[in-house]
Amino acid sequence: MSATAPATDTAESTARTRALLTTPDTRRRRTDRTMQVLIWAAFVLAMTPLVSLVWTVLSNGAARMSMDFLTLSMRNIFGGDPSGGIYHAIMGTLVITGVAALISVPVGILTAIYLVEYGKGALARAVTFFIDVMTGIPSIVAGLFAISLFTLILGPAVRMGIIGAVALSVLMIPVVVRSCEEMLKLVPNDLREASYALGVPKWLTIVKVVLRTSVAGLTTGVLLAVARVIGETAPLLVTVGVTDSINVNPTDGRMMTLPVFIYRQYMQGTATCPGGESATCVPDIAMQSAWGAALVLIVMVLALNLVGRLVNRWFAPTLR
Amino acid sequence: MERHVKLSRFPRAGSVVAVGALALTLAACGSDPEADTGSGGSTDSGETSSLSGELSGGGASSQEAAMEAWRAGFQTANPDATVNYDPVGSGGGRTGFGDGSYAFAGSDAALEDDEMAAAEAQCGEGGVIEFPGYVSPVAVAFNLPGIDTLNMKPDVIAGIFTGEITAWDDEAIAADNPDADLPSTDITVVHRSDESGTTENFQEYLAAAAPDAWTYDVSGVWPVKGFESAQGTSGVVSAVEAGEGSITYADASQVGQLGTVAVGVGDEFVPYSAEAAAEVVAQSPRTEGTADSVYSIDLKRDLPGTYPIVLVSYSLACGTYADESTAELVKGFMTYLVSEEGQQAAADTAGSAPLSADIREAVLPSIEAISAG
Repeated sequence: MSATAPATDTAESTARTRALLTTPDTRRRRTDRTMQVLIWAAFVLAMTPLVSLVWTVLSNGAARMSMDFLTLSMRNIFGGDPSGGIYHAIMGTLVITGVAALISVPVGILTAIYLVEYGKGALARAVTFFIDVMTGIPSIVAGLFAISLFTLILGPAVRMGIIGAVALSVLMIPVVVRSCEEMLKLVPNDLREASYALGVPKWLTIVKVVLRTSVAGLTTGVLLAVARVIGETAPLLVTVGVTDSINVNPTDGRMMTLPVFIYRQYMQGTATCPGGESATCVPDIAMQSAWGAALVLIVMVLALNLVGRLVNRWFAPTLR
Repeated sequence: MERHVKLSRFPRAGSVVAVGALALTLAACGSDPEADTGSGGSTDSGETSSLSGELSGGGASSQEAAMEAWRAGFQTANPDATVNYDPVGSGGGRTGFGDGSYAFAGSDAALEDDEMAAAEAQCGEGGVIEFPGYVSPVAVAFNLPGIDTLNMKPDVIAGIFTGEITAWDDEAIAADNPDADLPSTDITVVHRSDESGTTENFQEYLAAAAPDAWTYDVSGVWPVKGFESAQGTSGVVSAVEAGEGSITYADASQVGQLGTVAVGVGDEFVPYSAEAAAEVVAQSPRTEGTADSVYSIDLKRDLPGTYPIVLVSYSLACGTYADESTAELVKGFMTYLVSEEGQQAAADTAGSAPLSADIREAVLPSIEAISAG
């Protein structure tokens, strides 16, 4: 008895294990399947608008693409005239976003360094809190802030690219601070301590060790922040105004930007062509131009993201 | 410990070069279009003057199409000058003009007393210049084979567009058209599907001329449900062209070969013509008690011999400006705007009715007096 009992036990448990492994547990399988289907459904659901958007913009905007569209402005172009292009808007977007980046990148990165390396106590907590609040500021509020600031000083008629850049940098700074803060936190403390151990002062450690190690992440963060503000319409509409002519000087006069251009073209609606549709008069030219400009804007954002990826790869510290 | 951080330097230099090259390429290849590529010939004035600088105005979006033609014409004649117009709406234009944001403005309504006070304070001793620079007529167009024109009183038009009158041989229509051979076809009303100034303009007329029959609130969106709709002026016109028995309202210049309604004004019926539309502005009495430079009118929808479905939009400017170049620019631009050539350019592009010579002569002296001071 005593010799056979363990043997039976072993056989029983083996059989139980085998049964467990071979016969499907319907409840677990069902759960597994359900979750799989749900996750796929969520994925498809999330992809549908994206794919649909890209496809819509491509199919509507591709026809408008031409060398003229990219290298001419809309000066003296009106009605259903299909000539003219978005060069003034492309340059305006590049200049204004560039100046905005010039303002917000130093402020953002230095704030992030303060928060990670120096910030202690109430001040650091206050800065973090206000950065969080700034992240949630509606873009039009940033625009109104910038325009009121400048009109107080320069009179009510002032419209300049730099005002738009200030409005955009209000939106950009919190994004830059947030992402750079995370990147700086990722730098291992060992590296800092090793540097201190060699007698390197703190500021030099930050410049030579911390920033160098995290440069890829910082660049990506900055580029994502740029991509975030490049499509802003409302703040630029109130601060920079609209124009049809090329202006690349952000401190003198109105500029056009791509999002504002798209909005303006959309609002224009159909043009009236007295002689019907012809080579010199296309009734829905404004809509076509709007789609074309939307395509260019998406390509620009895409290019920015690609550059971000490449920079990430190039700058990433190689460990060997 | 053999692991150490290695930073690659070459790609950084490479990326800087790449970005710089990209920026240079972009900066080098753009330009304004050649002056003669786009303007359709109507804006070549032959003479080029030496005005330069940037001028910004804003206001009524109804003027936008005409304003584009005016800006293009003016900029073609003055290649160094740039004129901008923000179509922010009439209210925004008047406010902006009053606080000095805009050097000139467009507005679908004349300045109210308090707005006039603000504008006068802004303009200084030269005062405010105001005149009806843009007059846009709307035609009621229909598609009935063999019938070019029909007489309709405002109440009948309102009845059709509210859906009260549903057949072409309805007694209300037949009563005013004893000679017409009206079919028993159902009336198909076509309206704009998009928000539009034409829609608002047409409703304003109905609300003013047939207040009993038209009880809807006036807005840019068509308020009556259940009719056919189409996008844009060209959309409604082609919908009517395709459907026998249909009727719509559209920019008068766009209705092509469709029959148009002669609108009942008092006891007579006035068919659409640009002259009759300009005439309603010319004949409507000038508002009294204003300065010489202010030419605002009380639009009358019942003047005999005039076509009453029009939108009158005003242009605003100052008599004096703080600096010389702005004054010269405004003067040049406004002179072009009221000129026969400028009014014709607007008529070609936006289908507006050109200003009458009387009004032009009445406002030109104030425009010519614009100066710095």
